[in-house]
Amino acid sequence: MIGLRFYFLRQGLLNIRRNLTVHILSLGTIVACLLISGAYLLLFENINHWLRQWGSTLTLSVYIKDGTSEYKRDKIDSFIRGLPGAQIRRFISKEEAMEDLKVSLGKEAGFLECLTENPLPASYEVVFENAEAGDIHPEEIKGQLDSLEGVEEVQHSRQWLKKIEGFLDTVRLIGYITGGMFCLCVIFIVTNTIKLTIYSRRDEIEILKLVGATDRFVRRPFLLEGMIQGLLGGGMAILALFLGYLAFSSKEIYLIGPAPLEVVFLPLEYIALGLSLSMVLGLVGSSIAIGRLF
Amino acid sequence: MIQLFHLSKKFGPNVALSNIDLRIGKGEFAFVTGASGAGKTTLLRLIFGTEKPATGRILINSIDLNTISRPNLDLLRRKIGFVFQDFKLLPNKTVFENVAIALEVKGVRPRIVKKKTDQTLRLLGLGEKERSFPLSLSGGEQQRVAIARAIVKDPLILLADEPTGNLDPDLTQEIMAIFKGVHEMGTTVVIATHSRGLLEGTDCRTIVLNRGKISEEKG
Repeated sequence: MIGLRFYFLRQGLLNIRRNLTVHILSLGTIVACLLISGAYLLLFENINHWLRQWGSTLTLSVYIKDGTSEYKRDKIDSFIRGLPGAQIRRFISKEEAMEDLKVSLGKEAGFLECLTENPLPASYEVVFENAEAGDIHPEEIKGQLDSLEGVEEVQHSRQWLKKIEGFLDTVRLIGYITGGMFCLCVIFIVTNTIKLTIYSRRDEIEILKLVGATDRFVRRPFLLEGMIQGLLGGGMAILALFLGYLAFSSKEIYLIGPAPLEVVFLPLEYIALGLSLSMVLGLVGSSIAIGRLF
Repeated sequence: MIQLFHLSKKFGPNVALSNIDLRIGKGEFAFVTGASGAGKTTLLRLIFGTEKPATGRILINSIDLNTISRPNLDLLRRKIGFVFQDFKLLPNKTVFENVAIALEVKGVRPRIVKKKTDQTLRLLGLGEKERSFPLSLSGGEQQRVAIARAIVKDPLILLADEPTGNLDPDLTQEIMAIFKGVHEMGTTVVIATHSRGLLEGTDCRTIVLNRGKISEEKG
């Protein structure tokens, strides 16, 4: 059996070598299909990672009405400090808020000079560490803070998170549909490549049958060929994706919040799954080709 | 071993074989002869199972070829060596690979494949040519490669269609000696030939076909 396995593998590799141009062209298309799907998955994985990062810390912005007395502000301050797990990271006065805005606007900040008075409210930046535990209810806290005198508005990070998660569900669905279509493309490409290989080897197949080769014996190198093609395509797509990741991971990306976002690569189980899937797609493609021609 | 009952074969309106009854025993050496178009090749192809009869039955070792399943026919062919008139060699495989393939399909271990293939190639005087490709060989050499592929697997039955058609008289004698040697090992040998020279002086059984019918049997 070891001899036969070696024979099948050798024949599969020989088939690829004999039709190298066809295989390179189809491999390129397979890599492109899997790379697009992989890039989509990688982006999705990173967004999820960023949301997890962001969601692990609940932040509140408590905006104070203009003209709120020191006494009322102290009451708000005390209330916040009394919340379990809450830390006031910063109190931002109206002036500091304006300064922060100027810094973030950079060169565009000039138009702020036209303002006759500062419209920005003072605010508290409140952070709840380890907010994933589930014992912190942002809407409840928001309600309590809203009822305090001197509080103009309360915003918390989970409000945005919920909106983004809803959007991500749509993105995920689109991902499944496009990924499925790319998988069909890979099957279609492998099917046609193997059909061409079978066609170019039809004399050899006839002779193999004449010397007593079973159908299984004739089919196996083609099945292996499809699997190798799928695996190579998957491997090359993952390699290209990793190179892209290396290029991005060295840069600091700011999208949400003040901290740079950490770029992550696909977890090992996803890589293993991707390679297995590409191999299975190759196998399905070659099985279809064989089924139609034998 | 080989039994044919009321065997007929047509290609369109042309009758290739008509009502053939024949029995070739185990270990027998038989020639099938006749003019071109007499039905020699068709008879061999029917015995090998690459053609289906219009009527009649073919039994090989009591196995009915009319009812045999495809996988079992494949397995049966591993026990039958066939030397094709047009050699049927693979142009992109070396002489060694062309011969070894008959053993590889049986799942023989690579070490034994190499040993047996080398032995057979040396027996047929092709030891020096094992790395050559068929198209670089002469007609006679290609024919010997085809014979090597047929006998390397130690077949129970050896069918040869004009196996000496491309060989000079000296080589013909050598090849016939090889067939005799294979026969002495217990293999049933059936050779289709129209070469009178090959049949002269032979005491082997000779079946003469004429227009698809057995017209004469000798030996």
